[in-house]
Amino acid sequence: MSTTLDLHSHSEASEDSRAPLEAYLNWLKLRSTERPVDGIVLTEHRQFNQNADYRALEDKFGMLVLKASEVETDYGHVLVFGVTEEMTRRFDFANVRLPAQEVIDEIARMGGAAIPCHPGRPNVGLCEHYTKKPPLENVIAVEVLNGGSRKGEDERSEALVQQYGYRAIGGSDSHLVSLIGLCATRFDAEIRTTEDLVRELRGGAYEPVDFRPRRKPVPQAIAVEVK
Amino acid sequence: MAVDYDPAIIGRVFETTDPLPVTAEMVKNFCSAIGESNPIHIDAEAAKKGPYGGITAPPSFAVTFRNGQHFFQHVPRYGKQGFDAGKDVEFVGPIRPGDAISLSSHVKEIYEKTGRTGSMVFVIVRSTLTNQNGEVVAHVDHKFMNRT
Amino acid sequence: MAENKSDLTFESVKIGDPLGPSEFHLSKDQVRAYARTTGMWVPRFTDDEAARKEGLPGMITPGNMSLAILSKLVTDWIGASGAQLTRMGTTYRQPVLPDHAITLQGFVTDKNESNHTAEMDIWLENEDGERLVIGTATVHFPR
Repeated sequence: MSTTLDLHSHSEASEDSRAPLEAYLNWLKLRSTERPVDGIVLTEHRQFNQNADYRALEDKFGMLVLKASEVETDYGHVLVFGVTEEMTRRFDFANVRLPAQEVIDEIARMGGAAIPCHPGRPNVGLCEHYTKKPPLENVIAVEVLNGGSRKGEDERSEALVQQYGYRAIGGSDSHLVSLIGLCATRFDAEIRTTEDLVRELRGGAYEPVDFRPRRKPVPQAIAVEVK
Repeated sequence: MAVDYDPAIIGRVFETTDPLPVTAEMVKNFCSAIGESNPIHIDAEAAKKGPYGGITAPPSFAVTFRNGQHFFQHVPRYGKQGFDAGKDVEFVGPIRPGDAISLSSHVKEIYEKTGRTGSMVFVIVRSTLTNQNGEVVAHVDHKFMNRT
Repeated sequence: MAENKSDLTFESVKIGDPLGPSEFHLSKDQVRAYARTTGMWVPRFTDDEAARKEGLPGMITPGNMSLAILSKLVTDWIGASGAQLTRMGTTYRQPVLPDHAITLQGFVTDKNESNHTAEMDIWLENEDGERLVIGTATVHFPR
């Protein structure tokens, strides 16, 4: 049984998001045909709430809700899955200049998975840093589909994956309720816990999936003049 | 990693502006600039029958007021370039032509993050807008983004 | 947009209901008119050459004008129903360039029975579907 998860999302616990978790899950129910995901991973910016418990909402909506974090490093932003207290003691998640290589190696050593996100994005993605510094070692995967990407950014990420042989994940990076689940990752295996997720990210089979609607061609004529 | 600032500035009102009179012309020009055609904002006769018994400014008029002359003497700046990164607004009551609005402001929060354009320090300033009757008409949180 | 929505009530609003999409052309003159009337007459909002000297691609739309246009998306949706826009939060992510087609869009994302309010996402996007300004709004319905 396969599992499809949106691996990158921000609830209102992130300072720049306005989306309550319950509204996310309700939206995914409503859009289950267009965005068939089994759950989401909350990757709040620069923080991890060890105590947050979402079981009641998971039961109410029949959907998996896992916790991770998006941290900021000298090679851009990195999603950290399988966060433990040892990790939050080892690294100050609020530090916006964490050393990326240490994050990747140490998180792996402590039993997690650190995956650079939106590599094609200027300044906060791997691609730009790879033009100035040596590539990181021990990268297992990067996010190639990101729901917040601007024109050309996902394409740059895809080129990076081709060049370095990384595996690829997808996530919506949603900060608004209605943008949840637009990109996701489909795993061959069944995932029910954070331990399952980390195990599959490190050694399982998965692929990014794109649920963004195809854009209609831009009309040449101008519809309404607001004057 | 903490941004360097004096924690005592958080929450302390740094300035209350002199009341700024709102004229009918200001409201009219604002409506025209944003393409507002709702009669309750532009037509005195129609507005009489509306919920406020007269012309009111569109809600977004609340963000057009200045924070005062001494703003940057009180609010820390970081780096060279400053940008407006957004506003959070609570619309409490109507603003009408003939009102006089004063702003009372404090720094709510300061934090650092990184984005497409580099490192940034965000300074959140909350202004409360009060009319001539002492009624709060809006709270506006300004998000100032400083590129460092 | 100008459609009469006076029959809009708390009960009739459903999660998933769309606001817009509303597509239009924002002219440079309109941006200048906004800058003039709101005391924001500075080069980056009024003049292409001067804006380029600041490293911008050309004159840009004030963030507050984008907020005003988005709040109008909500108040046009409210129409004459008697509901009120009570809260709006916006993030200005990327400059909005005049003389391009922009699209305003939103969705009702939540309803709160006890407050008699509806929550909605709202955003402004360019021809490439990039969301330049995003936000949320709360609308209160009379009992």
